[in-house]
Amino acid sequence: MTAPPDDCLARNEWICGAYLTTRRHILLDAVLQHLRLTGLAVLIGLALAVPLAVLARRWGWAAGPVLGVTTILYTIPSLAMFSLLLPLYGLSATLVVAGLVLYSLTLLVRNILAGLRAVPEETRQAARGMGYGPVRLLLAVELPLALPAAMAGLRIAAVSAVSLVTVGAIVGFGGLGNLIYTGMNTYFKAQVLTASVLCVLIAVAADLLLLGVQHLITPWTRDGGR
Amino acid sequence: MRRGPAPPRRRPRAGAAGALPLAAVLLLPAACSTGPSLENRGRVTAPPGDSRHLTVGSAGFTESDLLAQMYALLLNQAGYHTSLITVANRELYEPALESGQIDIVPEYAATLADWLNAKENGPGAPPAGSPDLGTTMSALRRLAAPRGLTVLDPGRAVDQNAFAVSRDYARQHHLRTLGDVGAAGLKVRLAAGDECVQRPYCAPGLRRTYGIDVTGVDPKGVGTTPAKQAVQSGRDQMVLTTTTDATLDDFGLVLLTDDRHLQNADYVVPVANRARAGGPGVARALDPLGRVLTTADLAFLNEKVDSRRRLPADVARTYLRQKGLLK
Repeated sequence: MTAPPDDCLARNEWICGAYLTTRRHILLDAVLQHLRLTGLAVLIGLALAVPLAVLARRWGWAAGPVLGVTTILYTIPSLAMFSLLLPLYGLSATLVVAGLVLYSLTLLVRNILAGLRAVPEETRQAARGMGYGPVRLLLAVELPLALPAAMAGLRIAAVSAVSLVTVGAIVGFGGLGNLIYTGMNTYFKAQVLTASVLCVLIAVAADLLLLGVQHLITPWTRDGGR
Repeated sequence: MRRGPAPPRRRPRAGAAGALPLAAVLLLPAACSTGPSLENRGRVTAPPGDSRHLTVGSAGFTESDLLAQMYALLLNQAGYHTSLITVANRELYEPALESGQIDIVPEYAATLADWLNAKENGPGAPPAGSPDLGTTMSALRRLAAPRGLTVLDPGRAVDQNAFAVSRDYARQHHLRTLGDVGAAGLKVRLAAGDECVQRPYCAPGLRRTYGIDVTGVDPKGVGTTPAKQAVQSGRDQMVLTTTTDATLDDFGLVLLTDDRHLQNADYVVPVANRARAGGPGVARALDPLGRVLTTADLAFLNEKVDSRRRLPADVARTYLRQKGLLK
C-alpha cells in the first residue's frame, strides 16, 4: 500500500488549497445551482408580490388577509416548509424554489404595499387631474414612487433567499448548502468554511447588485431630491 | 501521521432518532401507511422495468455516498445514464423510491426491514429484521414487494453494531469474542449512546445473550472519538461502534466477534423501484459488486473519505478499477 497522503485535506485544516483545486468543479456547480435557485425564487416571488400588493392597495379589505397569510407563511420553519411541500413537488429543484417564493412573499408584498401607500394623495390627485386613467396612474406614478421601498424589500428578500437555499440540502437541491451539510457530518472544516464564505459572498454581491439597480432606476432620489 | 478527530458516523439505525424528526412527523399524513393507494396500484403491480435513465439515491452519510457512487459507475458502464441525488434521511428518500423519483438506493437489510415494518404495522410491531440473513431477506422482500420495490441480492459487506475493547485488555484476558468476555466474568463499563441501556442489541443483549456483567453505560455516543478515547485510556472497558469503522486501529482497539449473533443481519443491499429498475439489467450490473465488496473494504473506503477527505467519487472509481469491476 502506498503511504497515506499528508496534505491539508488529511490534516483537516480550515483553509486548504488542495480542497479548492480538487473540488473546483463541484464548487462551481454548487455556486451556479445556488444562484439559479435564488434568482428564480426572487423573480417568481416578485412577479407574484407586485399584483398582490396592487390588489391589496386597490381594495382595502384585501390588505388584511394578504398580509396575514404571507406573514403566517413566513413563520413556518424552513425544514417544515420543504417537508410540507414535498408531496406536491417531490424531490426537485421546484420544491426548493416554491418554498423560497413563499418566504419572499412576506418581505416583498409588505414593502411594495408600504411604498404604494406612501404615494402622497396630492400626487395621485394631480395625476388624475392631468387625465391619467387608473392603469397609467399605477404604472407611471404609483409604482415608480413605490420603488425605493420595494427595492429595500427586494434586497432583504434576495439576501434571505441566499441563506435559505442551503436548507434545500435535505432534498439534495441546496446549492452550497449541499456541501455545508455533508461537510458538517464529517467535520470537514475546509468544505464547511469554503462553502459558507461563498454563501456570504453571494449574499453581499446580490445586495450590491440590487443597490446598483435601485440607483439606476430611481434617478430622482439622487442629488438631494428635487 | 497527524489526523483530525474521527468523525461521528451518521447511521440509518431503525428506531434511532432521525435527523429530522419534525419532517418525519409532518410527512406522516402524506406517507401512505397502508401500502399503495389506488392511483399507485397500477405502478406497483407493473412488471419489472428497465428504464435507461436512473437516479441513484444516497442518504448523505459517507458510506451511503460511496455505495451510491459505485452503483452509478457500474450502471454507467452497463449503458445506463445515471444521476445522483443526496437526501437527508430515509423518511425522505423511501417515498421517493416508491414513486420512482429515485430508482435505486444502497440499503441495510435488517434496518430497512424494521423500518418498512414500522411504517406498515406501526412502531410497536414485532421486529422484522433478525440476525439471520435468510430470515431478514424474506421479511424484507415481503414488506418491499407491495410497495413496488425490488430488493436485489445482498452482498458480502455488513454494517452492523459491533463491540471493541483495547488490544492490551484483550490480550490480558484472552478475549477474541463477546462470548469470551462473558466466560471471563469481567466487569465491563460500556461507552455507547444513552439509548444502549434499553436497546436489545446493546446492554440488555450483552447481559442476556453473553452473560456479560455490564456495570454501566457511559453515554459518549456510538463510535465517537470521546467514546474510543475512554476505552483507550481504560476509563471504560468496551465501546459500541460499527463493523465498518476503520479508525479502531488508531485508538489501539480491536473488535470482538459477535459469536452468538446478537446483531441483526445489516448486509448492504441495493433496493430498486421495480417498475423502473427492477429488470435483470440493473441486477446484472450491480451483483458483481456485492460479491466483491467486503466489510473490511467498506471500512477502508470510509476511512479514505472520512479521515483523509478524498472525494467519494474518486475513491469509488479507484476501488472498482482495482477490483477489475470497472474498465
